[in-house]
Amino acid sequence: MSQLFDLVMLALLISMALAVARSKDLVAAAIIFSGYSLVMCLLWQHRGAPDVAMTEAAIGAGVTTILVLVAIGRTCRREK
Amino acid sequence: MRKSLVALTLAAAAVPMLIGVAGLPRPGDGSAPAHTHVVARYIAEGAQETGAGNLVTGVLLNYRAFDTFGEVMVIFAALAAVMAVLMPAAPSRPAGTPGNGTGGLQVSPVVAFIVRLTAPFIAIFGAFVIFKGHVSPGGGFQGGVILGALLMLLSVVMGRGMQAPLVPVRLARWLQASAPLAFAGVACLGLALTGTLLGYPAAPEMALVRELMMIVLELGIGIGGAAIILGLFLAMRGD
Repeated sequence: MSQLFDLVMLALLISMALAVARSKDLVAAAIIFSGYSLVMCLLWQHRGAPDVAMTEAAIGAGVTTILVLVAIGRTCRREK
Repeated sequence: MRKSLVALTLAAAAVPMLIGVAGLPRPGDGSAPAHTHVVARYIAEGAQETGAGNLVTGVLLNYRAFDTFGEVMVIFAALAAVMAVLMPAAPSRPAGTPGNGTGGLQVSPVVAFIVRLTAPFIAIFGAFVIFKGHVSPGGGFQGGVILGALLMLLSVVMGRGMQAPLVPVRLARWLQASAPLAFAGVACLGLALTGTLLGYPAAPEMALVRELMMIVLELGIGIGGAAIILGLFLAMRGD
């Protein structure tokens, strides 16, 4: 069961990373990346590292996403 | 041609990495190098020696306090770098035409209401994470980031920004530096009490002092982290 959880989460991580790399819409990429961080946070928690999980959720999913969105807002939304 | 070159380079980089991963000890292997040196002592006596119920905090603030000092300096330097690069360009509109402070974003009333409704709960949770950091998962970094994210949300919704800052700019600078300052203060206190920088007095009757030193560090890291995250956000938004 625990192995299955890890496998599903890791598969999700890989597919999300590919989706971020392939997306031409930078806002979509930023949001998918935030989802990536949330999955990563679940994995940390599952590996018994709640401190890292909290940091990942707050910084990875929250603050970084907002900073990236601000940066996109000051440049342009679509990758050329 | 270019694609096959990229694929070849990636494969050449991946093979040694995968070989390296295959050579790692299994997770939880008691004979792994990471578990046989200092960690055994941390786990056996960490709670006693540091007075921190949460071993992660004990390691961060006691055994590896210098590393944490370096970390907070790095975070502070990151803010300084962002400000050095972005701040001169900050007044993006002519002086005298105050912006609405939302960086051109139209905030929906629903979002604004939800943020106002949840703000006090997020603030309490952030403070809880900072203060309970030495007995349960969490601590200055995590709580500070939660508070910083809350400040970011509020500055979007309430329209506060460079034009109407929450605290005077000079005070904000001191708050952003509070983590290195707290570390410097505790380091000097440790020097006075034990003769080594960042040393914690070991005597049992000094347990309260030890606890206070850790709380000062946690608070400094927390407040500094929140102020730095808000500063990063405002500097990048530049309105």
